[in-house]
Amino acid sequence: MIVLGIETSCDETSAAVVDGEGRVLSNVVSSQMRAHAPYGGVVPEVAARAHLENLPAVLDAALERAGKRLEDAELVAATAGPGLIGALLVGLSAGRGLAFARGLPLVGVNHLEGHLFSAFLRPGGEPARPLALPFHGLVVSGGHAELVRVEEGGRIVPLARTRDDAPGEAFDKIARRAGLGYPGGPVVDRIAQRGRGDRFPFAIGRSGDGSLDFSFSGLKTAMLRELERRGIDGSPLDPERLDPELVDLLASFQRAIVAALLDRVERVHAAEGMQTLAISGGVAANTELRATLSAWGGEHGVAVLLPDRSFTTDNAAMIAWAGLLAARRGAPTDPAAAAARSRWPLGT
Amino acid sequence: MPDVETRTANAAETEALGEALAAELSANDVVYLEGDLGAGKTAFARGLARGLGASEREVASPTFALLHEYAGPSGSIVLRHLDLYRLVDALRELEVLGLPDSMEGAPVCVEWPRGALRRLLPPTVEVRIDTKPGGDGRRVSIRRAGDRAR
Repeated sequence: MIVLGIETSCDETSAAVVDGEGRVLSNVVSSQMRAHAPYGGVVPEVAARAHLENLPAVLDAALERAGKRLEDAELVAATAGPGLIGALLVGLSAGRGLAFARGLPLVGVNHLEGHLFSAFLRPGGEPARPLALPFHGLVVSGGHAELVRVEEGGRIVPLARTRDDAPGEAFDKIARRAGLGYPGGPVVDRIAQRGRGDRFPFAIGRSGDGSLDFSFSGLKTAMLRELERRGIDGSPLDPERLDPELVDLLASFQRAIVAALLDRVERVHAAEGMQTLAISGGVAANTELRATLSAWGGEHGVAVLLPDRSFTTDNAAMIAWAGLLAARRGAPTDPAAAAARSRWPLGT
Repeated sequence: MPDVETRTANAAETEALGEALAAELSANDVVYLEGDLGAGKTAFARGLARGLGASEREVASPTFALLHEYAGPSGSIVLRHLDLYRLVDALRELEVLGLPDSMEGAPVCVEWPRGALRRLLPPTVEVRIDTKPGGDGRRVSIRRAGDRAR
């Protein structure tokens, strides 16, 4: 089985070829992000036109790198939501066109479901890890914080989500206000490695109604106040020559994000017992998060799956893989029925 | 609602103000939410969403996604939540969001409104949340900005 995956839900245009064993034969991502732009360095080129301009070359490159031709594809998987309708339509319409032209089935994939199963993919053309159902999934990125249970039959049960900021967004906004550029996650990750994360204890945000939901805006605001008090206003700073106190502050901020994620993982494990925890999304690349959750899993007998860093940010390999799994579970594969959905909560 | 100038002590009170404003909104309203990072714009939007019948669990910052749509119990969209934080003031980028045509049928709230948006999607209500009092306190002003023309 050869699956062609297409992803255009937000900033990235991506195409990938994945086989029936979950081997990623190619995964091409064309970032539309123009870094260091005039407005604070955070400028996505959201134009559907940009996806449209990128997609043909990205598709060609994905096939070529996989050593495959379009005729080899047996299933098309394209992100159908959630996201901006204009952006989604570019990838989904291209996928539908290919499917119609070649008489292939097409699965419209939930972008978050793509992340959820990405922890099972392996780099280097290795087959995917065996899918261990049931498992728990933690999707943490610039736009999401979702903790879910995936049941034996594949049903996804949401357990916790963020009520305000996503963790990656908190990293980005704080890094920008600290004058450290964009994206914020990797730069804070590097700085935190030489800092003391226990020096400035921040409270763990809770939703206020006793639910497991995450809240990161209180932490963001507390951190902004700390920056303000030190006269840090967003003027560019050299990450290698920071005041040691600021290094500790950033390390403590990162520690608080990791602690909040671990807190919910622990509470879910206490309530219903986890066997496998699959971490995914851009924040799953964070060094401290990976180390902390791995160590926790080791102590509690929970298998913690960490995605290869190449599969943490938005990519089409995860869409191809999730599409294949969905098709095997009996998801609709009629290309005529696939519709873009701007709003598509996990598990619906 | 007459124009409001008030203070809130915490995010929950800011959210409650949003919920109160929701009762006054119609499908044509466009609410601009202005204020610095951490002022409570998303909390205010959460109040709006709750007041309009959406689950508050649906609400999250749309900074990354740019647009979130919240549905009420019947499944229809009751509020659109835009966030232009990541965008430069480029008309083309706003048009890609489908503005203003894709904003019909439900009120819209906008974080980080600016530039060409004022022309594409002019405000009917302007909310300003000021962090200046310091601590957890906020000064909030809510002002009718005229009828939405479209």
